[in-house]
Amino acid sequence: MSLILEVQNLVKKFGDITAVDGVSFNIQEGEVFSLLGPNGAGKTTTISMLSCLLEPTSGDAIIDGHSVTRDALQVKGVIGVVPQEIALYEELSARENLTFWGQMYGLGGSALKTRVNEVLEQIGLADRAKDKIKTYSGGMKRRVNIGVGLLHKPRLLFMDEPTVGIDPQSRRSILDSVKDLNKAGMTVLYTTHYMEEAEELSHRVGIVDQGKMIAIGTQKELTQLVGENETLRLHIGENVDVQPLMDALKELPYVIHVSASDNMVVLIVPEADDALPPVLGMADRLGYKIRSVDIQEPNLEAVFLKLTGKALRD
Amino acid sequence: MSKIIAIALKDMNIRFSGKTELLFFLILPLIFTLLLSGVLFGGGASKIVMVVVDEDNSDLSQRLVSLLQSSEAVAPSILAREKAQETLDNRDAAAILIIPSGMESNLKAGQAVSLDFTLDPSNNNGLAVQQEVQNAISKISRSLAVASASTREAENIQPFTDATQRQAYYDQSLVAARQMFDTAPIRIVITQPKNTVEIQSQKETQAAQASAGQLIIWVFIPLLGTSELMAYERVWGTLRRLVTTPTRKPTFLLGTITGQLSYGLIQMLMLVVIGVVLLKVPWGQNPLALLLLLISFGLASVAMGTMLGTFTRTPSQANGLSISLGMVMGLLGGCMWPLEMFPPAVANVAKILPTTWAMMGMTQLTVYNAGLLQILPYAAVLCGFAVVFFIVGIWRFRYE
Amino acid sequence: MKKILQIGWKDLRVIFRDRAALILMLLAPFAMTVGMGLVTGTLSSSGGGLSQVPVVVVNLDQSTLGVALTEVLMSPELSQLLAVEENNDVAAARAMVDADKTAAVVIIPTGFTASVIPQAGQSSSADAQIELYKNPSWPISSDIVQSIVESFLNEVETGRIGGQVAVAQLIASGLVSQQQAAEVGMQIGTRLANEQSNMQTLTLNTRQTSVSEEPNFLMYIAPGFALLFLMYTVSLGGKTLLTERQEGTLTRLMTTPTGPSQVLVGKMAGTYMIGLAQMTILIVASALLLGLRWGDPLAVAILLLTTVAAATGWGMLLAALSRTPGQVSSIGMAMTLLFGLVGGSFFGGTLPGVVGYIGMLTPNYWGQTGFNTLARGGDLQDLLPVYAVLLAMAAILLVISVFIFRRKGLLQR
Repeated sequence: MSLILEVQNLVKKFGDITAVDGVSFNIQEGEVFSLLGPNGAGKTTTISMLSCLLEPTSGDAIIDGHSVTRDALQVKGVIGVVPQEIALYEELSARENLTFWGQMYGLGGSALKTRVNEVLEQIGLADRAKDKIKTYSGGMKRRVNIGVGLLHKPRLLFMDEPTVGIDPQSRRSILDSVKDLNKAGMTVLYTTHYMEEAEELSHRVGIVDQGKMIAIGTQKELTQLVGENETLRLHIGENVDVQPLMDALKELPYVIHVSASDNMVVLIVPEADDALPPVLGMADRLGYKIRSVDIQEPNLEAVFLKLTGKALRD
Repeated sequence: MSKIIAIALKDMNIRFSGKTELLFFLILPLIFTLLLSGVLFGGGASKIVMVVVDEDNSDLSQRLVSLLQSSEAVAPSILAREKAQETLDNRDAAAILIIPSGMESNLKAGQAVSLDFTLDPSNNNGLAVQQEVQNAISKISRSLAVASASTREAENIQPFTDATQRQAYYDQSLVAARQMFDTAPIRIVITQPKNTVEIQSQKETQAAQASAGQLIIWVFIPLLGTSELMAYERVWGTLRRLVTTPTRKPTFLLGTITGQLSYGLIQMLMLVVIGVVLLKVPWGQNPLALLLLLISFGLASVAMGTMLGTFTRTPSQANGLSISLGMVMGLLGGCMWPLEMFPPAVANVAKILPTTWAMMGMTQLTVYNAGLLQILPYAAVLCGFAVVFFIVGIWRFRYE
Repeated sequence: MKKILQIGWKDLRVIFRDRAALILMLLAPFAMTVGMGLVTGTLSSSGGGLSQVPVVVVNLDQSTLGVALTEVLMSPELSQLLAVEENNDVAAARAMVDADKTAAVVIIPTGFTASVIPQAGQSSSADAQIELYKNPSWPISSDIVQSIVESFLNEVETGRIGGQVAVAQLIASGLVSQQQAAEVGMQIGTRLANEQSNMQTLTLNTRQTSVSEEPNFLMYIAPGFALLFLMYTVSLGGKTLLTERQEGTLTRLMTTPTGPSQVLVGKMAGTYMIGLAQMTILIVASALLLGLRWGDPLAVAILLLTTVAAATGWGMLLAALSRTPGQVSSIGMAMTLLFGLVGGSFFGGTLPGVVGYIGMLTPNYWGQTGFNTLARGGDLQDLLPVYAVLLAMAAILLVISVFIFRRKGLLQR
């Protein structure tokens, strides 16, 4: 698989402020890559430079063989952009918006018409295509926003925090669309400050903070970076004396810690997958009925916290 | 190329999506033009209204009144003193002339008489009325003056025996004087440059100027409003999005300009048709010249609006500035008050404004029956404005 | 009561922080007033009216009258009004009119004096006429030049005929013999020429109506433009109600222990205060910076209070009838322009005829009438009817607005 995006030491300064401080990363064709970081980390500024909206103070990025600093026009032809704000003409209908933006991408004639219809189907708004955007709900507007980015069948799609401020159903539908698009072969660069989204969607994640890329890798690689143990929670029925169970579990060599609270026995183990069968076996031998089990794997929030000492979301 | 048209169409679509656009596009300009030219200037050669108060009721005062009545410039209405003041206060008349009682007898006795003449300063027809009245006064008083002088001359050589003899001498002199004045040769001939449209009265010219002025202002302001459109695109985020498409800066600007220019031209053509058909303004003589002037003015206006758009941040700021600048530049360009009345210093400074050149060009069309060749310099200057504003606009064009 | 003022005061503060609104509320009317002052010459040293009209004189007449006319045109009395240039080349002079560089050319032909004052045995003829070549795009200016030349000719003619009639009458009555005629004629002619003032027995005593020594056009114009943009301001006030409805702050306001009528009256109070602030600032600025005075300050104050009340009524009615803030903006601007037009705000006066009657529906008309009356020397007494009409307008419109708001419900569109 080839590299579709190579970011080489991008820097962006606004006066005294350095918004992006030497960011580098690559994206393979066909993957979903997330830029994860809190508000103000420099995600939008980075995407702006990659979309050729801002000129980098230094550094470059190569997209499908074209440089963003030298071949902006060609770059724009192969990327699709879904900005954070709803950048649509509210007084025009969805169809009129899609048609216009298609024209701006150089599409025309019957090819454009066909493509617009395809996209309307894809985003599920074919039946309301004639209504003005201002009559749409927030979720519907976001769908059109995405649709515009898809019109010219780009090779690389930039999505900048596409789910901020919308209802859970619309968010679910957007996340599903990203997965569908990726299955169909689209490479996606997705920025977000929601850890769950990054975890759900991406092959690889780049964690950014204060303009710097502080870690890149698959989720497994990242969490291994910090080597957190996993937490196993056994939910036991009420009014049951858990002490014997706890004493027995403590004896197990790989059990780092045992505690009890709220009808739960909480274990810290290196690998929950490995620990679970014997633990359940022991509980069963001792005559305990386990009602449910929770495994809390180390997540990206924990990674972020470890790397920066701050929370991902305040 | 198709991108330029796509952008132009998109802008027209957005402009006309609201129901109120028609109001500013056609209805208001129509009302203003009709009312201002039609009502104020009678849409043609109607006479200036003035009031005459005749408290003398003599032959002489009658002569004065009928002289004024036969004038082509003024329409005197005879009223009593109180009503006269009221009329002036209501701004229904440009001036009041008061003929005091005893005028005839005092003049005949050789005394000087002064007539009170009150002008409404806010009516710029005042001067014309003053001239007419002055002329009329001269005409009626000169025979009397001659008769008095003749009588004095005789008296210097040999005093009269009594008042009757004096009066007789006076009356004879008066008759002779009147006769000589009536048969006096005409010593002045008025001419005008060759191409001029049929000699118009001051009022006709002013009506035409008013129509031209309205046309210019009503087209200028919405075209300056290109700045508002640009501000909206910034607010909506669509401007940023446009930059992420493979569309070049000049393409976007050209598209915006084409759209706005089309809007402006359609509006101008509608107002021209109305002016020619309803108000009988003589613009129809040289349609090509008119078209050239309108296109170049439209270009200059859109270019200025585009440049303005790079200075304003929000749509409401752009809107406020478009209206304010439009009105002020229209005023200083001679659209609301005739250029010829400007103090020379102000008139010179006004030449830095595109509106001034548009007005001057329209005047050439109205008064001189100008053809393409004569309009060329004005169109060229306007295009010059367009180029300068366009360059500044492109240079300043930041998408943030 | 207190809440009403608080709501109003909040709106006032918000608007005065909005720089875009201030452009149309304060900058535009003042700029237009100053602009009018500049173009009418009211603000310049000439004090208003035409000045320095360019004229070209071509004097081909080598004799008295040609010189006399030229001297009249170039006299000190006319030096303010005219800027005269002499030229010997007729074609070149005409070209100046053609090139729009001068208002008129006065061409005095050779033999003009001879044609007017006949030599012995001949009579006065029209052989050598003065030609006035007028620039048609300067109608007012060239007409003035025409009237100056015509009045000169009139004097000349009067002098000539005066001499001739005097001599003829003397001969007819036997006081002078035929042989003495020529010599006597000369003497009389000279005497008449030197006593020009005796020939002008009927004169005009011109004055302009105004309260101050120097008539100042701006006294009508400044209130006009202030009133024009007052309507814009009150529409802004009404707009805030709809904006708050749209943004939800109105609903929030209703969840506080504040009644709907308090909110409504609060909005009216806000609109009123904003309009009053605008008018006051503009009138005071005109007084201070342009030296305009309308006489009795109390009369002016009451005029402002009543005019803004009437305008507020219209602003509230507009808000009551509109559904969205955007509607208020567009219709408000249209209303501003139309009211300004029919109310005479564009030229500090009122329109004649039917249109004038329509104008009476606007606060602009009455406010303008009030200011104009004061400018002409009127006082508070004279303004009482104006105050009454404005208050009535305010009352009627506010009542109707409240009625509409109540029927629709403050939160309903």
